[in-house]
Amino acid sequence: MSARRYFRVLGIFVRASISAQLEYRVNFAVNLFGSVLLAGGTLLGITILYSDGVALGGWSYRESIVVVGLFTLVQGYIGAFLYPNLNKIGEEVRQGTMDFNLLKPVDAQFLISSRNINVFRLTDALVGVGLVVWAASGLEGASGTGALLGVCLIATALMIVYAVWFMLSTTAFWFVKVGNVTELFNGLFRAGQFPVAALPGWVRLMFTFLIPVAFVTTVPAEAIIGRWNVESVLGAGVVALLLLGVSRWFWTYAISKYTSASS
Amino acid sequence: MRARLNKAWVLFSVWFAHMSAYRAEIIIWMLSGAIPLIMMAVWIGKARAAGGETGGFNEQQFAAYFLAAWITQQLIVAWVAWELDYQIRQGHLSPKLLRPMDPMWEHFAGHYSERLVRLPFMLLIIAAGLFIVPGTRLTPDIGHVMLYAVSVSLAFCTRFLIAYCIGILAFWFDQATAIDDFYFVAAAFLTGAFAPLEFYPPALRGFIEWTPFPYLVYYPVRVLTGAAQGPEIVRVLGVQVLWAAAFYVLRLALWRRGLARYGAVGA
Repeated sequence: MSARRYFRVLGIFVRASISAQLEYRVNFAVNLFGSVLLAGGTLLGITILYSDGVALGGWSYRESIVVVGLFTLVQGYIGAFLYPNLNKIGEEVRQGTMDFNLLKPVDAQFLISSRNINVFRLTDALVGVGLVVWAASGLEGASGTGALLGVCLIATALMIVYAVWFMLSTTAFWFVKVGNVTELFNGLFRAGQFPVAALPGWVRLMFTFLIPVAFVTTVPAEAIIGRWNVESVLGAGVVALLLLGVSRWFWTYAISKYTSASS
Repeated sequence: MRARLNKAWVLFSVWFAHMSAYRAEIIIWMLSGAIPLIMMAVWIGKARAAGGETGGFNEQQFAAYFLAAWITQQLIVAWVAWELDYQIRQGHLSPKLLRPMDPMWEHFAGHYSERLVRLPFMLLIIAAGLFIVPGTRLTPDIGHVMLYAVSVSLAFCTRFLIAYCIGILAFWFDQATAIDDFYFVAAAFLTGAFAPLEFYPPALRGFIEWTPFPYLVYYPVRVLTGAAQGPEIVRVLGVQVLWAAAFYVLRLALWRRGLARYGAVGA
């Protein structure tokens, strides 16, 4: 099937999701309130951390807020795109409806990753982008090239988050009963609301290499505030491609072992 | 009395068996509540950057504070708002109402026995924390541990009843779980799991002191680590009893109103 047809299918999924959810318009207000509360709480946290006037791991107050903005943006991405799709894998394996996805004439990974979009959770993404723009506009290091590179690095960040989330949800083929395994990433990802330099020695290494949180918020923030270096930019690209490849392999392996619910 | 004890025993043992079956899932939930552990790393980083101490806390004191905060957060977790919301909207509440017992006690037994399943893994994390930051003293003596047990039980009752009140709101509208999400976000920053309240701006701290939030994590932690002594412990336990009682009364009032409104699916 050609790429054009995939885009058409994606367009149909997006339209269907939006029209299904516009019925519940109150949810928009509720979600917006939740997003503002989350961003406000995180900002309060950063303010408390800076109350003694000492920069956090060499990052100024405004520079840290760029990280907070990116963290909120990624939360919105998870809530809008990953959660409503990938977290259904376990349920489908348990009920045997996974078979229907495998039988359709589209790539099954594409299908289970894009069917539903929780439009209202994009409020987090909006608030996050607002925070980044506001914080970066007062920084001397911020520039057009930095912003462009930042956008590219946000794209790699989203790929990394997708790959990790996808691998965690794919474990559902074996651990059918454990329905909350993605919460593991969600909990540890909280560390992404701070620049990774704020963490002491080996904890920083853990959140760079073992759990690639550093590449999700800190590295794009470095580009936006004009403090990027070639190593971490290339590192982000390599990690993203590597994880996407591994997650694809893991998925093919999982469905090759899948024997459906009744057999 | 005997019959009541017997009832309680059956409830707890059944729910303990139920929760043990989900031990893998419970460990994942435990790891997902990692905010105090992450904050421990961040604040230790700050103490080191400031030459060993910031705001009267050194590395070991931060470690003790946040380990205690993590334990406390683990012990007061409550998801009853979600369960109630589901039971009310799906009509599963109806058969429970036929039993000669307030449905609250079944939820209470479920939450309470789940703590026992958490315990072994909790001890493991504490041991790891004490090993990673050498010289950390979590608590000065067994007396403080026992007072902490009282304090954290009261904190759990308060959080459980808050969640129960939020769940009851499902009788009136269908976004009750969203309110529990709001509670969760607010609690992350106001209970003291993020930072000891000493670091908060004075005006904000003055406000927080009038809410139940610091009595859920911050004050129980002070009791365990020995930062609170004699008179403060008495005051903390007293205020905790008042908050728990207040939410118990609120729960009862909301429950009666809600039940009067309840028209289950098909009823």
